[in-house]
Amino acid sequence: MKIISLNTEQAPPISVPMRFFTVAPLFLLMAALMLVTGAGNPFDDMRSPALLAATHCITLGFMAMIMMGAMQQILPVVIGSPMPASRLTVWLTFLPLLSGALLLPAGFMLGKPALLNLAWPLLGLAFIAFISASLASLARSPAHNATKTAILLSILALSGAIVLGMLLAQGHASGSLLPYDKLATAHISLALGGWVMLLIVGVSYQVVPMFQLTPNYPKWLVKGLTPAIFIVLLLSMLSRLFEPGSHWLTITTQGLFWFLASSFALITLRLQSNRRRRVADATLSFFRLGMMALLCAGLFALATLVFPAIDSLGTVSALLFLLGFAMSLMHGMLYKIVPFLVWFHLFRGGVNSGVPNMKEIIPETWKWRHFWLHCSTLLAALLAPWWNAATWLVALGLLLQGMLLEYTLLIAISVYRRTLERIGGVSP
Amino acid sequence: MITLRANMTHELDVRGLPPPEPFEHIMSALLTIPAGACLYVHIDREPYPLYEVLHNGEYAWQTTALADGSFSICISHGA
Repeated sequence: MKIISLNTEQAPPISVPMRFFTVAPLFLLMAALMLVTGAGNPFDDMRSPALLAATHCITLGFMAMIMMGAMQQILPVVIGSPMPASRLTVWLTFLPLLSGALLLPAGFMLGKPALLNLAWPLLGLAFIAFISASLASLARSPAHNATKTAILLSILALSGAIVLGMLLAQGHASGSLLPYDKLATAHISLALGGWVMLLIVGVSYQVVPMFQLTPNYPKWLVKGLTPAIFIVLLLSMLSRLFEPGSHWLTITTQGLFWFLASSFALITLRLQSNRRRRVADATLSFFRLGMMALLCAGLFALATLVFPAIDSLGTVSALLFLLGFAMSLMHGMLYKIVPFLVWFHLFRGGVNSGVPNMKEIIPETWKWRHFWLHCSTLLAALLAPWWNAATWLVALGLLLQGMLLEYTLLIAISVYRRTLERIGGVSP
Repeated sequence: MITLRANMTHELDVRGLPPPEPFEHIMSALLTIPAGACLYVHIDREPYPLYEVLHNGEYAWQTTALADGSFSICISHGA
């Protein structure tokens, strides 16, 4: 047994994370616009301007926006240490990220170097501010748990991904001679396999048992998984650096990464099947879909090693990871985090009677509609490399998902404001 | 839900409850404990957001991490 040191510093006001959350769905609309205005079938080539633009709308405008907003709230809750100077940090991250996430896809889509040259310094500023604030929060945290380690490793991976991303964007804008394929592969590995994967794993250690009432993740997994993924990613970087001499190392590190990712997915599915309250829940379905998509992404990624000439296998693997795994989990987590935030901030604000039940803040019907819409969008995306018309279905799915998510978030904000008005509180 | 020990320590076990039920049970229980008594809470995860509310409510508390990964918190009215 040990005595834990105490921390009473305040979590940021609800407006801090909600600002990020309410802007994020608008980037799904922008991604839809990029896909339908692209030439031919954007899914034919992973580096087509339309797919590159749509992907960055999703990874920067949607996913990074949500992850950076959620981190402002997650850090004080799971490691007991808020980001320093929360309002300043918010403005130094939110505005540059918002403008950079608008300019970069526009630069790719229109082929305008000037837009790329505006975007990369803004994005650099947003991420440097975010990374610095996160590291300061981690350094001051009294907690010693696996989630803290996972967050630290994800931030380190993000740092590498951002440096490479800035280098690539600047290179595209100036036409510099760079090893673009190698740099892009390393950028994608660190961003998706590092920052996204490690953060999702670390947060799942807390969120899955807490909200879905499952047993805890096994201790051996909690202790070893995120450091193992991080080491494999570093080895993967090294193997790319010395290509083609170390092809075996590339295959081994890819195999190890997907083995670790699949272990996480399988164990999460097993824990969810042993949950204590067996009630149907849209959030749980988003998580299960995400874990199954992660398993399938691994199978397709390994298939690319056996059949390297079939490009579409790699495209399907990337779509399964991005839309199937990462986006499903973000939707699922948002539908738990947002009602909890509304409830907690009302309670903290002194409302001790008439606080709505957490389950009533966003109606379950809307979450299920979103879930089925998301499944349809994913299915269309998986068909898109072979069926040109599916691009329109993907765009329609992203458009409707963006609108639906925005609507449900506005419902939550409206419940918060109405409750505050009823009791005469002040919105932060 | 709350059990009373012979030494005036009140016990509350909120393990296995989804958020925000542990928080709600703890806040309700705090209203019932007399001055000088301790509410001994057994909980799955360290509740950092609760500390802020306890601090603002002028409660004193001490948290102990247990070997099984759960936590015990002794909460009492501050001086």
